[in-house]
Amino acid sequence: MEISKIRNFSIIAHIDHGKSTLADRLLQLTGTISERDMQEQVLDAMDLERERGVTIKASAVRMQYAAQDGETYEMNLIDTPGHVDFSYEVSRALQACEGALLVVDSTQGIEAQTLANLYMALEQDLEIIAVVNKTDLPAARPDEIAQEIEDLIGLDAADVLQVSAKTGANVDRILEAIVRKIPPPKGDPDAPARALIFDSHYDAYKGVIAYVRVVDGTITKADTLRLMASRAEILPVEIGIFNPNMQPIDSLSVGEVGYIATGLKTVRECRVGDTVTVAGHGAQKPLPGYKQAKPMVFAGFYPSDNDDYDDLRDALEKLQLNDASLIYEPETSQALNFGFRVGFLGLFHMEIVQERLEREYDLDILATAPSVEYQVVLHDGEVLNIHSPSDLPDPSTISEIREPWMAIEIFTPEDYIGPIMDLVTKKRGEYVSMDYLDSKRVQLKYKIPLAELIVDFYDRLKSGTKGYASLDYHFDSYRPEKLVKLDVLVNKHPVDALAMIVHEDEAYRKGTRLVSKLKRLIPRQLYEVPIQAAVGKTVISRANVKALRKDVLAKCYGGDVTRKKKLLEKQKKGKKRLKMIGNVEVPQEAFMAVLRLDDDG
Amino acid sequence: MFPQLAQQRDNPCARTMTTQPTSMITPPASLALYVHIPFCQTRCTYCAFNTYTGQNNLILRYMRALERELAFVGPQAEAPVATIYFGGGTPSLVPPDAIRSFIRRAGEIVTLLPDPEITLEANPGTVDESTLRDLRRAGVNRLSIGMQSADAGELRLFARRHDVEDVRRTVALARRAGFANISLDLIYGVPGQSLSTWQHSLRAALAMNPDHLSMYSLGIEDGTPMQRWIERGALAAPNPDRAADMIEWATGYLVAQGFAQYEISNWSRPGRESRHNLHYWRNLPYLGLGAGAHGYAARTRYSTVLLPAEYIARIEAQGAPLAYPLSAAAVESEPIDAQTAMTEHMIMGLRLTGEGVAAADFRARYGRDLWDVFGAELAALLAAGLIERTPDDRVRLTPRGRLLGNHVFAAFV
Ligand SMILES: Nc1nc2c(ncn2[C@@H]2O[C@H](COP(=O)(O)OP(=O)(O)OP(=O)(O)O)[C@@H](O)[C@H]2O)c(=O)[nH]1
Ligand code: SF4
Ligand SMILES: [Mg+2]
Repeated sequence: MEISKIRNFSIIAHIDHGKSTLADRLLQLTGTISERDMQEQVLDAMDLERERGVTIKASAVRMQYAAQDGETYEMNLIDTPGHVDFSYEVSRALQACEGALLVVDSTQGIEAQTLANLYMALEQDLEIIAVVNKTDLPAARPDEIAQEIEDLIGLDAADVLQVSAKTGANVDRILEAIVRKIPPPKGDPDAPARALIFDSHYDAYKGVIAYVRVVDGTITKADTLRLMASRAEILPVEIGIFNPNMQPIDSLSVGEVGYIATGLKTVRECRVGDTVTVAGHGAQKPLPGYKQAKPMVFAGFYPSDNDDYDDLRDALEKLQLNDASLIYEPETSQALNFGFRVGFLGLFHMEIVQERLEREYDLDILATAPSVEYQVVLHDGEVLNIHSPSDLPDPSTISEIREPWMAIEIFTPEDYIGPIMDLVTKKRGEYVSMDYLDSKRVQLKYKIPLAELIVDFYDRLKSGTKGYASLDYHFDSYRPEKLVKLDVLVNKHPVDALAMIVHEDEAYRKGTRLVSKLKRLIPRQLYEVPIQAAVGKTVISRANVKALRKDVLAKCYGGDVTRKKKLLEKQKKGKKRLKMIGNVEVPQEAFMAVLRLDDDG
Repeated sequence: MFPQLAQQRDNPCARTMTTQPTSMITPPASLALYVHIPFCQTRCTYCAFNTYTGQNNLILRYMRALERELAFVGPQAEAPVATIYFGGGTPSLVPPDAIRSFIRRAGEIVTLLPDPEITLEANPGTVDESTLRDLRRAGVNRLSIGMQSADAGELRLFARRHDVEDVRRTVALARRAGFANISLDLIYGVPGQSLSTWQHSLRAALAMNPDHLSMYSLGIEDGTPMQRWIERGALAAPNPDRAADMIEWATGYLVAQGFAQYEISNWSRPGRESRHNLHYWRNLPYLGLGAGAHGYAARTRYSTVLLPAEYIARIEAQGAPLAYPLSAAAVESEPIDAQTAMTEHMIMGLRLTGEGVAAADFRARYGRDLWDVFGAELAALLAAGLIERTPDDRVRLTPRGRLLGNHVFAAFV
């Protein structure tokens, strides 16, 4: 396609404001998907996305649009996730585009990620088309929200398109606006090919599939290609476009978005952010690539069955192709043996990674409680970065422990300011500022330790504001705090995977709650098991899991031995999900108990 | 497909032989016959058995189908039949004539050993004196009566259709009708049950002078009303510690009353053990007839279609015998290889609290040494104090192991 007829754009918004639904309508209007294949949020193809109704992965699709000017345009759309934990997906998608549709729910208005994603798009110099969505709803306030967009973002309210992604009303105007407002790509059609890898996945037959945006030149199936950073040379197995399924074509030219099936079976040679060029007379200078995402929380991932360690390593490697924000390194635990310390952008990200590993790679994973990255300053001046409480050195060598603090922004109706203030104070946060967005809504700014933020802060914020508040955060600074390591001893042995770093003032409360939680979670064993929480040598709390006296046997009724055996097998399988620590069987939930210390249960 | 072992039928000393080629499994000396009667008047709140209400109009056709099924399967039986057990459901809903007819047909089709044990499960209040006399005359010589509890509150919770007075009357009538072998079923570990209501139930049972007692700790089965109540929080979950207190008290009490425990849930006066159930626990073969019945014969475990009407239809449509031990009612069958048989032998045999699993018997049956096959498992269980080894080289549960049977059996699966 001639470069002037190409339009590349992302759809960005706060979570649930209707990006994927809008993508559905665009795919329909352009005839990209037949009525028969249409389903709601068709681009949310992963089971997990469909079950949870949220987008996790950005996905690209090519559409052909016959515009009112009589020309046919090639449009490459990238639907992006709205959840803050997946903002790395958004930022990479934006780099493959010249424009963005900024969608705002007309019943909600501008929310935390509306702004966060908008700023990302502006940093990339993208053309923004603002769209107010869900105008079909009775509570919609499209004019007000359009005005809010003008006031806060500076786009003319009159240019804001008012649509319903559900009914399709006015969606055709978006396509026209894309043609008129978003510039075509700029690359040089005659230069040596350069394509940016913005995403990838692994295919058992075709090897690593690189998703690319061609920045200069043309790539054809016959070219030998070179990955500039890894220097791997490949003859593509296939190149193609997403429509939205993978469809092979002969070439991808300047400005276009598509994929290259590299045939590479080793995952490391093809990295997101690398530049693809042709071998021989290829480009000299790679494209800028991406900044690696900075993980916020870390957790140990261990195979429930120690024999699956290699499978877990392979799975992480492959999943990393499809989740560029994922980082990990091997780790050993006395309690859990060999596993990995994995870094995530947030707790939701962690949950999704664990589920994807279990579903897509058929693994059973035991995750330890998430931790943040501490800076430990030793007396000799050395500074250590600690991702895991068990790595904390001997307290006598430590001169200072610093923990990460975040700057957070909360958008909320003013009625909830009180409860939010209470919550932040309880979590050791500090007030920064409050601004009115309109007569009823405010933007609150605070600083808060990340360790507090990852423990149920978001859930509490949501429940305390009936779901109305939205949250965005970014790293602020490291601050020295009075922190201590809380050890947990099961059957008198310290369990490294249960240790946590807590504020000195909270050690007693947290230790007591953790012990009583664990007492409930650890099933009764054949003998009594003491559980203790300790700081240094001082035991702060203790409880005993009483010995099991009796189990219930199914009546072996009418000689149904098979059922009996099945029940026993099930019982045994259930036990496999338990981790043997010393002689004690500890369930997965125990390692996550730390996250629920404030629950009433 | 399955070799008939008829020529070895009458080898009574087979089980006492001690050396065997590895591949051979000694043919059994006898067979048990289980007959399932899947009809009840109403369903009890804890019950997940294969039984149906409102289908009593099918009973007579069902009984004819049972005879027909036996006629297909029975002639190929690998050993003579020692016991017949009518279980349910509520077998006492079946007219005695139909029971008599079945037993008579059984005598024609298979070889019945002399003095067979023939048990029928009866619910209190479903039988009068003449019915009991007719059953006795038909050949039934053992009654298993579903007493469950003497506490009115517990019986109501179970939605049983009788009170303790009905049990007393049924036992008395049965004695008068000539039943010399009567068993009572009791349930303990019930939500809300206290040690004293349990003591009251057990004393009331003993006052009826039974020959045999089965005491089941209540298991909460999926899909039962009781399970839903517990899930909703309307009913407390059974408390295993309290159940342990109850069974420990019962143990002392029953011994003082002249009863002996021979299986985890079963106690009897000397010589009154259930021969039919011993057959299961010794991992010996049995045929299962009827809807939702289970059988184990010719190294095959199998089960039959659940719905009575479907069972009847299948059997009525069956024209000729199938490969033994299956009939047209069979829906699942699984060949049991030597390894599985040995595993099952442990799971079943260790339930026998007195005799346990004898190394000599194990060798005679499977041609393998018990300690070679399960050495590691047995050692761990011995170390945990859950099993013991007797001077005559048997393994069996310790008193503590009797309460933790699942732990023990799970070691072998
Ligand atoms: N009534 C109405 N509902 C809409 C409209 N657009 C989207 N929705 C609903 O809003 C919910 C969220 O829509 P999605 O399209 O999944 O939102 P999203 O922005 O892609 O969400 P994430 O990808 O998770 O950030 C769904 O229940 C949609 O059916 C609209 O125009 N009108
Ligand atoms: S009588 Fe027995 S089989 Fe019938 S419903 Fe009650 S417990 Fe179940
Ligand atoms: Mg979406």
